[in-house]
Amino acid sequence: MVPRKLWRRPLDSEQIKLPKAEIHIIPDLCKGCDFCIEFCPRKALEESDKLNKRGVYPPKVADESKCTLCGFCTAICPDFAIFTTEKKEETSRNGR
Amino acid sequence: MTEKEAEEAPRIGVYVCHCGLNIAGTVNCEAVARFAATLPNVAISKDDRYTCSDQGQELIKNDIKEHNLNRVVVASCSPRLHESTFRKACEDAGLNKYLFEMANIREQCSWVHIHDKEAATEKAKDLVRAAVAKVALLEPAIETEVPITRNALVIGGGVAGIQSALDLADTGYKVYLVEKEPSIGGRMAQIDKTFPTMDCSICILAPKMSDVGHHPNIVLLANSEVQEVKGYIGNFKAKVLKKPRYVTDECSACNDCTEVCPVTVPNEFDIGLATRRAIYTPFAQAVPSTYIIDRGICLNKEGIMACDKCIQACERKAIDFDMEPEPLELEVGTIIVATGAEVYDPSSLTNYGYTRYQNVITSLEFERLINAGGPSGGNLIRPSDRKIPESVAFIQCVGSRSERGNPYCSNVCCMNTIKDSLLIKEHWPDVEIHVFYVDIRAFGKGFEDLYTRAKEEGVIFTRGLPAEIVEDRKTHNLWLIGENTLQKELYKINVGMTILSIGIQPCHDSDTIQRLCTLSRTLDGFFMEAHPKLRPVDAPTGGIFLAGCAESPKDIKDSVTQASAAAARAGILMAQGKVSVEAITPKTIPENCQLCGLCARVCPYNAIAVDKERKLVEVAEAACAGCGTCGAECQFEALHMRHFTDAQIMSQIDALVEEAPDEKIIAFCCNWCAYAGADFAGVSRMQYPPNVRIIRTMCSGRVSPKFVEHALSRGVGAVLVAGCHPGDCHYINANIQTRKRVEKLWKKMDRLGVDKNRLQLLWASAAEGEKVASKAKEMQATLKKLTPEEVEKGKQAFAGS
Repeated sequence: MVPRKLWRRPLDSEQIKLPKAEIHIIPDLCKGCDFCIEFCPRKALEESDKLNKRGVYPPKVADESKCTLCGFCTAICPDFAIFTTEKKEETSRNGR
Repeated sequence: MTEKEAEEAPRIGVYVCHCGLNIAGTVNCEAVARFAATLPNVAISKDDRYTCSDQGQELIKNDIKEHNLNRVVVASCSPRLHESTFRKACEDAGLNKYLFEMANIREQCSWVHIHDKEAATEKAKDLVRAAVAKVALLEPAIETEVPITRNALVIGGGVAGIQSALDLADTGYKVYLVEKEPSIGGRMAQIDKTFPTMDCSICILAPKMSDVGHHPNIVLLANSEVQEVKGYIGNFKAKVLKKPRYVTDECSACNDCTEVCPVTVPNEFDIGLATRRAIYTPFAQAVPSTYIIDRGICLNKEGIMACDKCIQACERKAIDFDMEPEPLELEVGTIIVATGAEVYDPSSLTNYGYTRYQNVITSLEFERLINAGGPSGGNLIRPSDRKIPESVAFIQCVGSRSERGNPYCSNVCCMNTIKDSLLIKEHWPDVEIHVFYVDIRAFGKGFEDLYTRAKEEGVIFTRGLPAEIVEDRKTHNLWLIGENTLQKELYKINVGMTILSIGIQPCHDSDTIQRLCTLSRTLDGFFMEAHPKLRPVDAPTGGIFLAGCAESPKDIKDSVTQASAAAARAGILMAQGKVSVEAITPKTIPENCQLCGLCARVCPYNAIAVDKERKLVEVAEAACAGCGTCGAECQFEALHMRHFTDAQIMSQIDALVEEAPDEKIIAFCCNWCAYAGADFAGVSRMQYPPNVRIIRTMCSGRVSPKFVEHALSRGVGAVLVAGCHPGDCHYINANIQTRKRVEKLWKKMDRLGVDKNRLQLLWASAAEGEKVASKAKEMQATLKKLTPEEVEKGKQAFAGS
């Protein structure tokens, strides 16, 4: 079956619990290669406008809710300047 | 006896059929028979009440023997109906079947000129004269036999495709079942219960699906698409692309992967009422049960592996992101097209507010809602507040039987609504149910009982569809406003939820299937059968059969019936193991051939090869379909189009214009569309002027410019060339040549000062009888303005052609 335009919000959208992410960036370790920004599959990162100690613009979080905790940024960062952790339940609000 | 027929002088028997009063009511058949007796080479001429009856056929057989006839003409109905009957009778009497010709004096004469008996009789005489002229030139032919590969291809894995595949596989043939979705099951898998027996749809379908998955004779190719079909009856070569699932057969469908997959989207199977992950199975009973990764939404794009959660979760190591698309080449003898249909999208009917109002849903969404395995666990909840509504309304004929949607009746919606209303009453008897309808069509076995039951259960049926739905902004209840046409009063009814009973329409990719399998479609867009009554599951192309909603909207029972019929028809061919090809292919005349290669260039089947070194043009007879466009293209008379030779067609033209040529229209009609359309005009009794004289060719591409020029040189009033719509050609694209040739002729007529309105081109499908009739009327009007000087100019301009 070919999907017609699916326009409804799925009925189970509130029950689907995806782990919420917290993105941690250590700005001063960053050398500004931008790999994490470029390769983040969800485009959750963007360049910040503040120079770090090494004289480059490190990444900053654009939209944390987009992060799926895939960990790709951690894996490709040459300088160990970024990692993600799962957000604990009490602060997370699921849905949407 | 076959050999000597050709050498002897023609001894023709003419039989004019009364067809009861179908012909004799308009045409004076005795007069036509007497007239035929005066024609050259006619040995005997008779009229008969029903020539197609056993007695009628016996008469012909006896005469062939007794009077030593070597040619037979029957003037009766369309050759599309009974040519094979009479050919068989000739054969039984020892006469080669290619020495038979028909004059169509019913569909193209008596039925379309009911009120003009005199003109109809004169036309019948003309048609008989043309048939006699042609039959005298016919040559005996022996058909070549082509072997049939004992494998079948079934395209589409809905219930129709499943049934066809199982029937063929159980008979013992190997079947390739190609389904473009990740699972077979089709629409039936989405439906909750079936009418009129209220069986659980997936419960009766799932065992069949699983049979397909396990059958030793079935190769199931899900998530695959047919990309190319080449060849001909018995010897098709199909290219199928098996797209990667990125999950191997090691998958045990344990669901561990989906739990960790971080990407969610609305699930197509539940029409977006539930979510799925990037790695998923469309529904629990899916076959094959192997999961699939939707690379469109997966985080891992080409060359970049960002996420390995599913790989980590899969204990059986079944996930393989390196899987490549697998092109397959299948050799099959028969093809069953069971590509199904789509549902109508009601969002364009803005007065019903679908997509604007949460609580307006479609009947397909309803099926998922009421299904125990569906997104609401079988609870009838309305989307706005997820509560069970106190009242619901069904609106019938949404997108059907209307100029705003599709003009036809979608067949299943009435009964589907009645079934749905009973399902609601079964679980929530207090819910008030309104059904707004145009007509309730409960025609099938057990349907009326179900309708009566719904009325007894308190479902309120109101004739007259709502003109508009208005939402109450606070409660999200819906006001339905319209006219009750039985009571002649207006209604304004408030309900909690409205279900639009949406119609069925052809798949959006029907074009592709049509092109691949050289099929035809009706005006509604569904695939056309070879004959609506007597060959309802055969496609016009040999070796291809139709099943299910691809042919027309139908319910499960009818789909299954048709699927079994298609399997049986395909089985007959494969059981015989061979089929004879009509002897209408070209023969080359090497001494005339200049090796120009034009014939090879226009052949839609690449059946002609020019060998410059050996100075030969070769026709691959089995690949040739006999359209004759090569014969029309050849400038040197080096191709002899068997059974439709230049001389035969010229003789027909001469016979038709023997009397009062300037009052006549010669119409060349292709067998599959225009001629069938003219037959359809006859069956529908559409009346048009009686001066049209139709000459049948297999394809409009056979119409050589010299035929048209010859007709004009004989002073004919006007010429019509009619064929299938561009893109619908029965011979792939041979009618493109038709257009080119007609355009060239127009230029030539312009140059020679001949009124080019006297040559017309018409595209008409087999369903467009009206188009043929109105074209005849239109041309009649131009004919009236024709001056003798103009006729003379045409004669002079093309003299000698």
